[in-house]
Amino acid sequence: MKRHPVAQASELPPGGRKLVRVGAIEVGLFNVGGEIRAYRNVCPHAGAPVCLGRVSGTSMPSRVYEYLYGMEGCVLRCPWHGWEFDLRTGQHIVDAGNRLKAVPVEKGDLEGFPLEQSEGTVYVLLPG
Amino acid sequence: MRLIDADVHNAFADIKAELRPFLPRLWQEFADRHGIAVPPAGYVSPVGVQREDARPPSGGLAGSDPGHLIKDHMERHGVDYAILTGSHILGASVHFDPDWGTALAAAYNMNLAGRWLDRSERFRGSIIISHSDPQAAALEIERCAADKRFVQVLMAAGSNRLFGQRFFHPIYEAASAHGLPVAIHPGTEGAGTADTPTPAGRPTRYFEWHNIVPINAMAHVNSLVCEGVFEKFPRLRFVAVECGIAWLPHLMWRMDKNYKGLRAQVPWLKRLPSEYIRQHVRLTTQPTEEPENPAHLLQIFEMIGSPEVLMFSSDYPHWDFDNPAAALPALPKEWKERIFWRNAAELYGLGPVTSGR
Repeated sequence: MKRHPVAQASELPPGGRKLVRVGAIEVGLFNVGGEIRAYRNVCPHAGAPVCLGRVSGTSMPSRVYEYLYGMEGCVLRCPWHGWEFDLRTGQHIVDAGNRLKAVPVEKGDLEGFPLEQSEGTVYVLLPG
Repeated sequence: MRLIDADVHNAFADIKAELRPFLPRLWQEFADRHGIAVPPAGYVSPVGVQREDARPPSGGLAGSDPGHLIKDHMERHGVDYAILTGSHILGASVHFDPDWGTALAAAYNMNLAGRWLDRSERFRGSIIISHSDPQAAALEIERCAADKRFVQVLMAAGSNRLFGQRFFHPIYEAASAHGLPVAIHPGTEGAGTADTPTPAGRPTRYFEWHNIVPINAMAHVNSLVCEGVFEKFPRLRFVAVECGIAWLPHLMWRMDKNYKGLRAQVPWLKRLPSEYIRQHVRLTTQPTEEPENPAHLLQIFEMIGSPEVLMFSSDYPHWDFDNPAAALPALPKEWKERIFWRNAAELYGLGPVTSGR
C-alpha cells in the first residue's frame, strides 16, 4: 500500500465531496457528518461512476402509507439505476450483497478506503 | 393421492328463481321488472364457454345440477373437494349501481349455502362480493364468515382501480380477520364499470381477449405488493384464479430489480417484492401453459422458486377444462403433492374427506 495525498481537509467540509484520480483509479471522497469516507468510483452493479450521484437522505422503513425521511446526507444514489448506498458503510440500503468498492485497510477501518489526515492533508492508501 | 380442485364453476339452473328469495323487497321488484343479469364483457367464445358434454341430463347449463357435477366431475376424476367459484355472478362487482351489485352478491351467497354447500361436504364456497363497495363487501364477509364452509372471498378481476389501493383495504381487513384468502377470477375485464381488458385497448375477439387475461392479474399482484397490502395485512393470502402462471417469474424479477433503485417510494416494503409474492400470492394452474417442450414449464415452476404458490384447478365445466390426469408435466413428488392438494388444503383448511356425501 502506498500513501497518496489527494486533498486538503479544508476542501471537504461536512457534506463535501471531491473526486480524485490516482493513476488510473478514480476515488470519491465524502465528508459524512465529519468523517471522511472514500470509495472507488465504480458502482458494483453495472460499473457506473457512482460517486457522481446525488447525496441525500431517503425514506426510512415505515408503516404502510407513512413517510419518515432520514439518513440526511448519508445516502449516495447511483446516477445510473438509482441504487442507494449508505455513505457511512458503503452498503446498499436493502441489498446486503452489494456495497461500494473498498480496499483493505491499514488501521482496521474495514468500511471505506484507508484514510489518513495529517497536517490538513488527506491521503488514500492504494496498492502501488 | 388426494385432489382438490380450486376452480369449479357451479351455475344457476334458474338465476331468478334461485336469487329472488334472497333479495330485499325493493330488488325483488326490480328483478321482476327487469330480470337479473350481470354486465357482460361482450366477448363470445366460438366454441361456447360451457363444455358440450357436461350438460346435466335434466337440461340447463353445465354445472347447474349439484348431483350431476359430483358424478360427472368429482367422482370421475377423484376430486375430494371442489372450490366453487360460481357462474354469471362475478359481474356483480362491475354493475353501475353498486347497491344492486351488493344485493346480488349477498343473494348468491345465501343461495349457494342452501343449494350447494348443504348438498355435499365436498363442496366449499367462495363468498362472492362486489368490490365496488368495499365497506358493504366487508359486511358481507362478516356475515358469511361464520359459516366455515365458505373458504375464501372471491371478486371480479375486472375493475377500474388496482386492487392494492387503499380503497379496497376494508375487504382485506375483513378477510384477514377471518383467515379467509381473497381471490380474483377473470371474465369481467371490460364489462360494466371495469376498465378495458388491456391498458392498450380492447381486444377484438374472444381468442385475443383470452390470450391477454394475465395482464390484468399481473397489474393487480404488482399493485398489492407495492401498496404494502401484505405488510398491512400480514395474514392475507391472495389467489389469482385462472390467470396463468408463466408471467410470474418475469414480474418477480422486474419488481426485485426495480426495488433496489426505487425502493424509496415504498418504504413500507421490508423485503424483496418476490418474497411477498411467494408468501402471499397463490395461482391456480388452469389453463396451464403448454409449451412445445414440457420441461420448459417445469423450469418456470423452478423460477417461481416455491412449491407453495400453485394450486391445481380444472375450471370444470368450461371449454378450456384441465384434466388432472393430463394437464401438468411429470412433477417431482413434493411439487405434485403440493400442487394437486396440499397447498389448497393448507390455504382453505381442508382435511381428508371423511364422508362420501
